[in-house]
Amino acid sequence: MPSSQAPPAGATAVDPTAVRPDIADARILRVTPAALRAALEDLKRDGFSMLLDVGGVDYLEREPRYDIAYHLLRLPTQAASAGQIGQPERVRVLCGVPGDATTVPTVVDLWPSADWAEREIFDLYGITFEGHPDLRRIQMPDDWEGHPLRKDYPLRGVARERTPRPSFALKSNVAAGTPASGRTAAGLQKQIAEVRARADGHAAPNPLQAKDGKQP
Amino acid sequence: MTVTNAPDATGGYAVDVIERGEGHMVLSMGPQHPSTHGVLQVITEIEGEIVTKASPEIGYLHTGIEKSAENLFWSQASTVIERMDYLSPLTNALCYYLAVEKLLGIDDQIPPRANQIRVLLSELSRIASHCVWLGTGGIDLGALTGFFYCFDLRERILDLFEMSGGARMHPNYIRVGGLGQDLPEGFLAKLDGVIDMYEPRMRDVRRLLQKNPILQDRMIDVGIISADEAVAWSLTGPTLRATGIQYDVRRAFPYSGYDQYEFDVITRTEGDAYARFLVRLDEMDEAMRIIRQVRKQLDTPGAWQIPDTKFAPPPKETIALSMEALIHHFKLVSESFRVPPGDIYQAVEGPRGELGYYVVSNGDNRPWRVRTRPPSLYNLQVLKKIAIGELIADMVVMIGSLDPVFGEVDR
Repeated sequence: MPSSQAPPAGATAVDPTAVRPDIADARILRVTPAALRAALEDLKRDGFSMLLDVGGVDYLEREPRYDIAYHLLRLPTQAASAGQIGQPERVRVLCGVPGDATTVPTVVDLWPSADWAEREIFDLYGITFEGHPDLRRIQMPDDWEGHPLRKDYPLRGVARERTPRPSFALKSNVAAGTPASGRTAAGLQKQIAEVRARADGHAAPNPLQAKDGKQP
Repeated sequence: MTVTNAPDATGGYAVDVIERGEGHMVLSMGPQHPSTHGVLQVITEIEGEIVTKASPEIGYLHTGIEKSAENLFWSQASTVIERMDYLSPLTNALCYYLAVEKLLGIDDQIPPRANQIRVLLSELSRIASHCVWLGTGGIDLGALTGFFYCFDLRERILDLFEMSGGARMHPNYIRVGGLGQDLPEGFLAKLDGVIDMYEPRMRDVRRLLQKNPILQDRMIDVGIISADEAVAWSLTGPTLRATGIQYDVRRAFPYSGYDQYEFDVITRTEGDAYARFLVRLDEMDEAMRIIRQVRKQLDTPGAWQIPDTKFAPPPKETIALSMEALIHHFKLVSESFRVPPGDIYQAVEGPRGELGYYVVSNGDNRPWRVRTRPPSLYNLQVLKKIAIGELIADMVVMIGSLDPVFGEVDR
């Protein structure tokens, strides 16, 4: 049994799938993007009729950098009564995608269900699916920059240009001294002052100014 | 003429209509439409009353749960994972922990009592989740009374969750290697109360809804899915079984000792909204059948957590007396445990279908990747196929019969 006190394998994953313990959860196939469609077509002909899921993994320092995991299922054969069901089977196709050539052929024409899953990988990992009929962001807003599930994307996001609501910004970000968006407190105060100046002189007194006596 | 779906262009109303020639219009349903059971926008093109195209737009509830889980300890990640499918949180936690236990190599050491309680709570979650679907689904079609009957039953089940883990909705009761604690005193008596009230209550609900001619008119032959379509669109759970395919993860890939219990995999062949309705109703009865079998085993006390203090916190009373126990407790709280490198796909049968977790570990004390296979995402996706040629008024019926939960669609 593995010990929980084993030293960590490092800050980034080398290739966990290569050193995995012997677990019989699925048959694993490893392919390149060029061989992906042929492998999946073969499996589909073989009776793996259902594409359960398409998910991405970013290994950051491994080459190829990304994995796309296709989880396929062979459905149990029909049986008259419960308990007589034929053995269903799972297979996992792992497609390595290099970090500098993030293009993979789509499988939407083989399984229509891949549509949203591929859009999600495009959205969150920035991997393009060639031939996808409607490849656009699905979870994040359309004008979002960056791909949040990449390992080099910070947990709290990167700084974006947006107009802060003065009262909210003052309370949460500036007063706490930790601007969540990565902007400096001074820059934010300057922006707030500009917004207030635009508001035609009807702005409420600046609580920060009252607090530390300094002009923002 | 372009489809205008930006909120600023439509002014944020629930339903916006853009005329497009004689009898043809584009109608944006949602995202704040009460019958979408969450935040779903469906941009429909209609001719007269007939839908010619439907494009569901999701992502309004995206909260980055998968990203958050990568930044939490293995034992902390279940707190955010439980919030994906908020109608049956225990199923999410169970599936995640089954995957972690397999990576740790301790999946065969889970004490039988822990497995029994896990099965019990999964099936209770299934009933509670179907109660919400049944109640709100009835409301969509104008049947308000059933809602109160269903939510009363659900409330009693949530009381049980509150006793077990301390919270009604997200108890976080399942832990690696077993459970957070044993069932508290009085739990079994209360469980017996729920078992006793279940049958008369469901008889009432069935009388109110199942044979109701108005509901039958609204649901029969609406949103028909064939077996081939169901496979091509990766449908699972009751939606798949209503097309006649007998696939249930509990039977196909048994986990937590599901192979010891007797239950039937309910299937129907019609594939319409009413078939999905009946499959879910019968599934609730099967869940109760499993609960009755588990209840008989729960009278014998036993261990509910593996004794290995490297994963499970030592008993509270030993912490004050034993130095070693204190150290283990401190290590578990401050840096959690490490999981050997590897990847695994684990699935359970959630109320909505196959709920899967693809978990990758790099040997550290945080998961490298937690990919969820949300059944609702795939079940909802078929809406763009089945809505074509249906009446716009039946859109509500079809969404309701697919039973999506947007916490897990958007994650």
